[in-house]
Amino acid sequence: MTTVHRLLDAALAGVEPSPEVQDLKEEIRANLEARAAELQAGGAAPDDAARRAFDELGDVRALVADAQADAVAETGGTPRTPLQAAAAAAQQHRVRPKPRFVLGVVLASAVLVALLALCLLDALGAVDLPAVVVAALLLTASSAAGFVVGSSLSQETTTNHPVPSRRAGGYYLATALAVLGLMLAGFTALGTFDEWAYVVAGACAVVAGTAFTMLGVTQTNRKKAWVRDVARAQASDDAFGRFDRDPAAAARFGVYTLVIWLVAFVVFVVLGLTVGWAWSWLTFVVALAVMMLVLARMLFVPQDDRRTSR
Amino acid sequence: MQRAEPPTADDAFSADLLRGHTDTIVLATLRRGDRYGFEIYKAIRDATGGAHEIKEATLYATYRRLTKDGLVEAYWGDESQGGRRKYYRITDAGRAVFRKNVAAWVATRDVIDSLLSADGAGTDKDTPR
Repeated sequence: MTTVHRLLDAALAGVEPSPEVQDLKEEIRANLEARAAELQAGGAAPDDAARRAFDELGDVRALVADAQADAVAETGGTPRTPLQAAAAAAQQHRVRPKPRFVLGVVLASAVLVALLALCLLDALGAVDLPAVVVAALLLTASSAAGFVVGSSLSQETTTNHPVPSRRAGGYYLATALAVLGLMLAGFTALGTFDEWAYVVAGACAVVAGTAFTMLGVTQTNRKKAWVRDVARAQASDDAFGRFDRDPAAAARFGVYTLVIWLVAFVVFVVLGLTVGWAWSWLTFVVALAVMMLVLARMLFVPQDDRRTSR
Repeated sequence: MQRAEPPTADDAFSADLLRGHTDTIVLATLRRGDRYGFEIYKAIRDATGGAHEIKEATLYATYRRLTKDGLVEAYWGDESQGGRRKYYRITDAGRAVFRKNVAAWVATRDVIDSLLSADGAGTDKDTPR
């Protein structure tokens, strides 16, 4: 199979890799592979099959030149702005949403809403459910919310590549935990659970927040090539450039975040048990503020001397 | 069965005549489901008895033209291994154009048939239109 790639690459060496050319190249490649597989099934050696499939195609450069001429004719020969080029590329790379995915997300959303409504009815006294059942329902509901996020991320979309399944799984867990924490806190406030549930909710929030931060900081290359081109053309000094240039700084920020939220959580529990749960949640507001300050400080390094933050 | 080919194939097969109907033929192969380039090519090749009378290069240009005219729409499949395949799907406009073209072909064929058989000595193939 790799010979098909090599033959095609060799034939198109030096051709300007415009979106149209890339598009056509990928299409031709898949077709050549299918033809080579067919020849192989007929008994040809892999290399011969690739070579024959490639030769049958004829003049690849002429084919590509044709496509380019068509594209130029369509735009009236005027050079396109990066934005127009990106819009055209996005149009060309359209991916049809999978029915299974759409159905899954709709079902998960329905489950989420239904379970949440049931728990709310319980909190309002319309139905009477044991606290354990409510907790189980909330767990299921948050899992559904996580599923919607994780499943969406693992889909190929027009502008983004699909997130790898493990990373999507990470987002699934983080989202589920965050939603669970939020709902636990909400229902504890409504009186469904005892006050100690705040601790569980807080723990969920801390783990979720840390997970989100880790996932966000380590995220790379989610955008498709042409989207990155536009971003580069539009903003040469993007805000998160420091983390791109200096991965160590990104890792350091991750550790700071972990420490901040861990301390916040401990303070939250201590305050909750001493001062009371009504005010202890303010700890998280403070922690968020501190995290944002650290982020700002690390992203915008003072220019005068090499004072990196901390 | 919608493929626009004269029933008397053999050597006296008119590739030009076939090529004149590339758009309609491609639309025909897409009517029963979405296909990618090689599947379309194979369908045509098999229907013409193995001798592929329509070049792949011609087909790529056809896909481009049909897409631009909104008769088909393209989307990428999500094959996990190997190259991603670009699938084509016929649109409602495509189906309408296909039906129109088939009707035109049938009418033309009937006219040519009657003209050629009326003379009694229709030896050469004629391009319609």
